[in-house]
Amino acid sequence: MLETRSLCKRFGETLALDRVSLSVKPGEIYCLLGANGDGKTTLINVFLGFLTSDGGEALVDGLDVARNSLATKARLAYIPEQVMLYGALTGIENLRYFAALATGTEPSATDAERLLTAAGLDAAATRRRVATYSKGMRQKVGIAVAMAKGARALLLDEPTSGLDPKAAAEFSQLLRRSRDEGVAILATTHDLFHAKQTGSRIGIMRQGSLVEEVSAADLSHADLEALYLEHMR
Amino acid sequence: MSPVVRIARREALEMWRDGRLVAAALIALALLATAFAIDWQRQQTYEIERRAAQALDYDTWLKQSDRHPHDAAHQGMHVFKPLPALASIDPGITPYAGSTIWLQAHRQSEMRFRAVQDATGLQRFGNLSVAWVLQVLAPLIVIVLGFNMLSGEREQGTLKQTLSLGVRLRDIVFGKALALVSAITLLLSPALIALIVAVATSERASDDGLRAVALAASYAAYFAIAVAVVLAISALARSSRASIAWLLALWIVGVTLLPRAAADLARELYRSPSRAEFSKALDGELSAAHEAAWKREFSTTKRWGTELPLARWGEALRLDDRVGYEVMDKHFAALWQSFADQQHAQALAGTATPILALRKASMSLAGTDFASHRHFAQAAERHRRTMQDIISEDLVHHADPRGAGHFDYQANHDLWEKIPPFNYAPPNMATAIKEAGISLSALALNLAFAFCFLAFALRYRARRLL
Repeated sequence: MLETRSLCKRFGETLALDRVSLSVKPGEIYCLLGANGDGKTTLINVFLGFLTSDGGEALVDGLDVARNSLATKARLAYIPEQVMLYGALTGIENLRYFAALATGTEPSATDAERLLTAAGLDAAATRRRVATYSKGMRQKVGIAVAMAKGARALLLDEPTSGLDPKAAAEFSQLLRRSRDEGVAILATTHDLFHAKQTGSRIGIMRQGSLVEEVSAADLSHADLEALYLEHMR
Repeated sequence: MSPVVRIARREALEMWRDGRLVAAALIALALLATAFAIDWQRQQTYEIERRAAQALDYDTWLKQSDRHPHDAAHQGMHVFKPLPALASIDPGITPYAGSTIWLQAHRQSEMRFRAVQDATGLQRFGNLSVAWVLQVLAPLIVIVLGFNMLSGEREQGTLKQTLSLGVRLRDIVFGKALALVSAITLLLSPALIALIVAVATSERASDDGLRAVALAASYAAYFAIAVAVVLAISALARSSRASIAWLLALWIVGVTLLPRAAADLARELYRSPSRAEFSKALDGELSAAHEAAWKREFSTTKRWGTELPLARWGEALRLDDRVGYEVMDKHFAALWQSFADQQHAQALAGTATPILALRKASMSLAGTDFASHRHFAQAAERHRRTMQDIISEDLVHHADPRGAGHFDYQANHDLWEKIPPFNYAPPNMATAIKEAGISLSALALNLAFAFCFLAFALRYRARRLL
């Protein structure tokens, strides 16, 4: 569903992405580990068409992002570390707005509320202005938008950083549910624990290169930590 | 519903909820309503008084007692410039130009050009009028409502969020433009109502109606320019702070400094004489022309002396007048030309800053520009000459035959009646459009520039979304 082939991206002298090839299948959660500046966010931005690559390909559902940027975006949902919403609008209004822009039809207020509560938001909270929402609540709205959109792939950029453990656990739960529905998920993270808990596969990026790719089931949390630290040395 | 409309609707809802729209609407309403109420009331009162005064003046003329016609000519008549209905929207040079001209013997009155001379200095913060609010303050409102429309969403990350849904940047910008245009239309609707009231209460409603349509279109173009520029800067700026700083700088330069500089420059380029210089030059040439004419016709250069028998004084007056017409035409034409050149230079400068183009177009369409003033002054002068010619002719036929008894002649009501009342028809819409030609073209050019600028800003931003 999400695939890169020898993807390169250069910022001046530095190679932000150095021949990265990876693939995320439907029903799979791929966690991308790495330090800040190792190219994880750049990869997501290439998938979203916000950056153009300097070599190789990024494909969504077999479509080249560079040439089909609207069609590929239609299949994706993007959830950044901080889901940005319109503060003066309520949760329901935000969801209806974004869903309408994404799909061309506006969900009814009832449908919107159902989607939001399915994403774990309190029914009462859905009618409050988003300016009062916590980070975790905003992410639930982001997930609800992705569900409303019927996205077949999720791009998550540091989704759990700054979430309290309970919120992070809830979020992981949501991701697993999406995975079970056949959504392909690519998540960047610093959080080894989260990666081990939710990921199907784990990749480690170092200075623009994908240096390691393992199956989450194959190693313990301690093994993962050792592996990660070895690469980061 | 298209994404453009959805985005516009959300934008409008936000503006409404965060109170910006209400605050701006209240300020705009207060200013526009005050300005219009004052100017409209002034215009209505002025017109009533003017009509009364014009009738009274002619009545006084008709009812004067029997007297020597030249005495009557010296007392003369007064004509009062009508104030067009749309002066309640844009008073133009009205506050600076005179409204009354004394039609008297021998000489074209000077007050009119002194007023116009002042008028060229009007390119500064003017009196409160609907036009001033729309020209000077409305762009500021567009800035306040729109400066962070794109820069703010970029800073907050909502732009990226929206684009990630597969929405085109172009649609986002059009949506914002639509929201901004709707907000401006709502905020400035009191001005539109004022325009309708002004036309509805006008004596020349059909001509003023056409003028009002052209006025509304010109102002719409001006606001479209403001919207395009504000969105372009908001798209280009690194941050909302940078955006507001750029926009305010642009407003200060474009709306206040450049017009001032253009007015001063135009005055330097096409220098008009001071009142004293003008009078001196005119007097000099008048007396030279008179002396030459007297020498030719009466073989003397000493005017109104014993050398000329009283039996020819009527004839001499007629000669004096006619010689004077030519000289005055030449001097006034040159003077007016210098003012007209200044106006045109400023209209041309309207290509650099749209407010100059709009200001000129607005005055011309409202009928309160320099050209309208000149049109009236010329009509008044024609009337003065009609009066002079009739009176001199009367003297030649009735006073001159009396020889030494020239001054015993007294004309009566029959002569007074021969002088027609002053009926003035202001120029029509077509003339106004022609007069506004350069400035309307400059405005159109600005609009094209603004759209190109916005298109450029969009292309730039589309390549640098992060």
